[in-house]
Amino acid sequence: MQKNELPNQRVPGEDDLILVGHVLAGDRTAFESLVRRHERRVYRVTIAVLGNAEDAEEAMQDTFVKAYRHLGQFRRESKFTTWLTRIAINEAIQKRQGRRDFISLDESRGASELSMPWRTESWRSDPEKVYGKQELRRIVEAEIQRLPPIYREAFVLRDIEEMTAEEAAEAIGITVEALKSRLLRARLMVREALAASLQEPPTLGKRILHTAEGIGISVAVRLMRAVRREV
Amino acid sequence: MKKTLDCKDVLENLSCYVDGDGSTELREALEEHIAHCRRCRVIVDTTKRTLKIVLDVDPFEVPLAVSARLYTRLQGVLSEDRTVS
Repeated sequence: MQKNELPNQRVPGEDDLILVGHVLAGDRTAFESLVRRHERRVYRVTIAVLGNAEDAEEAMQDTFVKAYRHLGQFRRESKFTTWLTRIAINEAIQKRQGRRDFISLDESRGASELSMPWRTESWRSDPEKVYGKQELRRIVEAEIQRLPPIYREAFVLRDIEEMTAEEAAEAIGITVEALKSRLLRARLMVREALAASLQEPPTLGKRILHTAEGIGISVAVRLMRAVRREV
Repeated sequence: MKKTLDCKDVLENLSCYVDGDGSTELREALEEHIAHCRRCRVIVDTTKRTLKIVLDVDPFEVPLAVSARLYTRLQGVLSEDRTVS
């Protein structure tokens, strides 16, 4: 095991290819090193597709078993991470399809028109001080798990795993355009959800100002005058 | 003449803008709108902060027990399998 420890990300993907070579040459401990390097990503990907930890664990195990048994089919045309991510997504999707409570989300719904975000107060400057890192992580995880699966996948691959749009699209098996469209919606949903916890409570003055922006200054002034007369 | 962008244009190009992609011309046009629109300024700023917070909190760690069960299962598979195809 020790001899296969390699410095992290010397050249992205290069160490993976060396380890794959070792495994194919019969060195099974090299596979353990591959697992160590990628277990976190595979776990996140399976959570992204399935939305819960129990199913994700099973899908993660199946992913590595399949990757080991089919390593000889890895053609090196794409990065090892993309190949492995693709297996993880397929394993998780298969599991999801077998679940009775799964309702598939129609792609056409995903392509519906963007609606303007409605939480537009600025945020507290130090959310980690207000909540603490653990609590903030719990909030973030819960909101990501609440996303519809096709948005969650795009968000996790792109904004947590930091894959490029092209890599994420290839791993999911969709076009880059579709990936970008899902990602934008996912980001807006996560932003909106976090805003509920993180935005500053509006002061009365700000509320009047925002009302004025919404209905037009002159209408707001007339409204305020009318209110004053009544009082 | 430069095209004037509205709030919907900012929303549609939000990902591109926060990722630092897009042509200089597009970015300048977006910045011009954002400078004058409080709502879009908040949306752009809080989207950037959303992405930063998500990375900072490092979500979905593999629990130790989950990791241990994975290695136990793999050890079984690796010792059974003579070859990889």
